[in-house]
Amino acid sequence: MVAMMNDPTIESLRGPSIAPLVECTQVSKVFRGGGGSHVHALDEVTVTLRPGTVTALVGPSGCGKSTLLRIIAGLESASSGAISIDGEDPDQLRRDGEIAVAFQDASLLPWRTVESNIALALKLARRPMSKGRVKELIDLVGLAGFEKAKPAQLSGGMRQRAAIARCLVTAPRLLLLDEPFGAVDELTRRRLNLELPPIWQDRGSTTLLVTHSIPEAVLLADEVIVMSARPGRIAAKITVPIERPRRARHLHLPEFHDLVDEVGVLLGVDVDPGGELAVDS
Amino acid sequence: MTATIAAPANQQTPSASRTRVDIGGIARTAAGFGIVIIAWEVIARLVLGGTNLIAPPSGIVSSWIDNWDLYQRAMSATLWSAARGFFWGNLAAVTLAGFVVLAPATERVVLRLSLVIFCLPLVAMGPILRVVWGTGDGPQVTLAALAVFYTTLVPLLVGFRAVPQSWTDLVHSYGRGRFRVLTTVRIRASVPYLFAGLQVAAPAAFLGALVGEFTGAQRGMGLLTINSMRALRTNDLWAVATISALVSMAAYVIVGMVGRRLAIGQPALLMTPPSGGPAITTRRRVIRALTEAAISVSIVLVLWIGLMAVLDLDNYFAKRPADVWDYLFGRPASQANRTEILDALSGTARIAIPGYIVGLVLGAVFAALFDLYDTVRRTLTPFAVALRCVPIVVIAPLLVQAFGRGMTGTTTTVAIMTFFPTLVACSHGLRQTPGQVLEFYSVYDTGRVRTLLSGQVPAMVPAFFAAARIAVPTTVLAATVAEWLATGTGMGNLMALTAVNSRYETLWACIFVVTVIVAAAYGVVAIVEQWVLARVAPEQLSW
Repeated sequence: MVAMMNDPTIESLRGPSIAPLVECTQVSKVFRGGGGSHVHALDEVTVTLRPGTVTALVGPSGCGKSTLLRIIAGLESASSGAISIDGEDPDQLRRDGEIAVAFQDASLLPWRTVESNIALALKLARRPMSKGRVKELIDLVGLAGFEKAKPAQLSGGMRQRAAIARCLVTAPRLLLLDEPFGAVDELTRRRLNLELPPIWQDRGSTTLLVTHSIPEAVLLADEVIVMSARPGRIAAKITVPIERPRRARHLHLPEFHDLVDEVGVLLGVDVDPGGELAVDS
Repeated sequence: MTATIAAPANQQTPSASRTRVDIGGIARTAAGFGIVIIAWEVIARLVLGGTNLIAPPSGIVSSWIDNWDLYQRAMSATLWSAARGFFWGNLAAVTLAGFVVLAPATERVVLRLSLVIFCLPLVAMGPILRVVWGTGDGPQVTLAALAVFYTTLVPLLVGFRAVPQSWTDLVHSYGRGRFRVLTTVRIRASVPYLFAGLQVAAPAAFLGALVGEFTGAQRGMGLLTINSMRALRTNDLWAVATISALVSMAAYVIVGMVGRRLAIGQPALLMTPPSGGPAITTRRRVIRALTEAAISVSIVLVLWIGLMAVLDLDNYFAKRPADVWDYLFGRPASQANRTEILDALSGTARIAIPGYIVGLVLGAVFAALFDLYDTVRRTLTPFAVALRCVPIVVIAPLLVQAFGRGMTGTTTTVAIMTFFPTLVACSHGLRQTPGQVLEFYSVYDTGRVRTLLSGQVPAMVPAFFAAARIAVPTTVLAATVAEWLATGTGMGNLMALTAVNSRYETLWACIFVVTVIVAAAYGVVAIVEQWVLARVAPEQLSW
C-alpha cells in the first residue's frame, strides 16, 4: 500500500518516514439511478492524508469531492477501492469517536442549546460528559455567553462556530469539513477562515477540507487537491509552502496569489487576485 | 442610559400591538357569533316554531340547566372511554411508526394494513364489539382507538422522515446506527407532526366513543343522543349535540396548544404518506403494488383468523373469512345475499358520492373565496376550524332532522362532513404558496383572481387531495350513521337491522364489502391525485 503512495512533492515536503493517517486507494463510486442510469461520481481516486496536515479538495460542482469525503467518513460506501485509516478499518475509528464531520448547514439540532449540541458529540462518541471541555470549546470558538442560546437565535456564522466546536470537543484524530463555510456570507467566511483553523490545527487533527473557494483552499491547506468533473478524477496535487498558522497578512503574499492563480488555471477559471471568486459551475 | 430606557420600551411595543390585533379579531369573531346566535333563535322560534326541526339557543340553554347533572355524568363516561381509546390507539400508532423507522422495508405494507383499519366501517364494528366485550365500555374504547390510529400513524411517519439528511449523517458519522438516529433526532423532530396527528385524533376519539355508545351502552352522550332523538326531544338533542361539539373542539384546541408549546415550526404538509425510495419503471411499480397487495391481504386474513382463534371467539357472532366467502359466493342463497348487500350499497352510494363531491368542490371554492376576501376569511375561519372537529354522529341526527329523512338530509350531512376538513386543508394549502411566487405575480401587476388561479391553486392541490383521501372513510361513516339513525335506507340501515336481528353473517359480509370498497375508493382517489399532481405540481409527487 505505502509503496503506491509515491507522490514526489509530498515525499519531499514531509519525508517518507511519517505514516499516512488516511489512505484512499483507487476509490471509485457509481450512483445507480432509476431506469438503469448511473452516474460515475469518482473514478479511481487515490488520496493520502498525513497526520497533522490540512488537505483541501477543490473542483467544480459534481466532481465528487463531497462524495469522497462522505466515503472517508463512512457515510457512503465506495463501489470499488480501499480506504484505511491508521492502517485500520475506518468503522472502528468512527465508533471510537476519532472522526468528526462538519456539514455545510451546521446541522445543529434546533431543540438543543449550543451547549447541549456540543455535548451531544461526546455522547454520540461514547465519551464521558465533561462540562469543562464543552465550556472550553465554546470559549475557543468565540461563543461565550451563548451557551444557552438555541440555534435559531444565532447568526449563520455563529452556528458554524458551534458546529466546529462540536467537531473538536471529542479531540478527533481526523476532521472532515464538507464546505463548512459554504452557507455563510463572504465577509463572515473570511473572518471564520482566519479565526477557526488555528483552533483545530493547534489540536493536531488531520483535516480534509472540501470547498469550492480556491482562496479558502490555498489559505487553509498544506496541500490542495484539484479534481475534475464526471467522472471525478484527481487533476493535480499542489503543495502550499506557506508557514502555518496563516494570518491575514498571508493573503497579501505573492506566493499566495500565484498559488490561487495556479489552481484557478487548473480548474479553467480566471481568478481575481483579490480572492473573491469561487468555482461553482 | 439611553440603552436601558430604550430596551423595555422596545419590548413593550410589539406585545402591545399584538394585543390590539387580538382584540380586533376577537371582537369580529364575537360579533359574527352573536349575529349567528340571534338569527338562529329567530329562525327556530318564528320560522320553524313547533316543527321540532331546530332547537332555539334559549331551548338548548334551558335543557343544559335542567339536565346538568345527567349531562355531566354522561360526559364523564364518554370522555373516560374516549381518553382510553385515544391512549391505546395512539400508543399503537407510535409503536408501529417506530417499528417502521427501524425496519423501513416494512413501511408500504404497514401503511396498507393500517389503511384497512382506517377503512373499517365503525358503525358495523360497534355491534360485533358489543358481543365480544359484553356490557361495559369495551366497544367505546376500541372504536375510539380504531378512529385515531391511522390519522396519528401517517403524520408521525412523515415527521420521522422530515429530518434533514445532515442530522442523520451527524449521528452516523460517529458510527451510530438507526436506533440512535431515532432516539437522538427523529423522535424529537417528529413532535410537531405527532401533535398535528393528535390534534385530529382528539375529536376522532370522542367520535369513536360516541359510535360505540350507540350499540347498547348503559350511559354516555351517545346514549343520550339516541334517546332524545327517539323521543323527539329536540331541545335535549341539540343540548347534547352542542355539549359534545364543544368538548370535541376543546379537545382539539387543547392538544393544539400543547403542541404549539413544543413545536419548532409547524409541519408543512400532512397526511401524505412518505415517498417510497428511488424512481422505478411503471412495470416494476405494478408488480410491486400487486406483490404488496397480496402480502397485505394475506396478513389481513392471518390476523383476522388468528385474532379470533387466540381470543377463542364463538363462531356464532365471530365469522371467519371462510364464512363470509361462503355467505357471499358458496351457497344457493348467495345470489340473494349479494343482491341484498349490493342494493344497500347502491343506496348509500347514491347519497354518499354526490355529498362527497359537493363537499369537496365547495370546500375548495370557499377556500379560494376566503383567500380573496380577507375579512370573510378572518371572520369565518374560526368557525370552519371549530366545525371541522364536531363529531359526525352528533351532527348527523340534527341535520337529518332539519333537512328531512329523504336523500337531501343525508347528502347534506355527508357534504358538510367533507366540506369543513377540505376548506381548512385548502386554506392552509393556499397559504403555503411561496412568497416569492406571489411577489413575481405582483411585479407584473397580475389581478388577484388570476394570481389565485395560476399561482396559488397549484400550491393548494396537494392539500386538496390529502383532504379528499382522508374524507373517503369519513364520507362512509357519515352516510352510514345518518342512515342508521334516521333514514332507514342503505348500508347503515342494513347494518342496524342485521345487528338487531343477530344476522352476524350479513353484518360481517357488510363489514367486508364496505372495507374493500372504501379502501378501493381511497386507492382511486390516490391514483387521481398522482395523475393530477404529475401535471400540476410534479415536485409534490410522493413516489
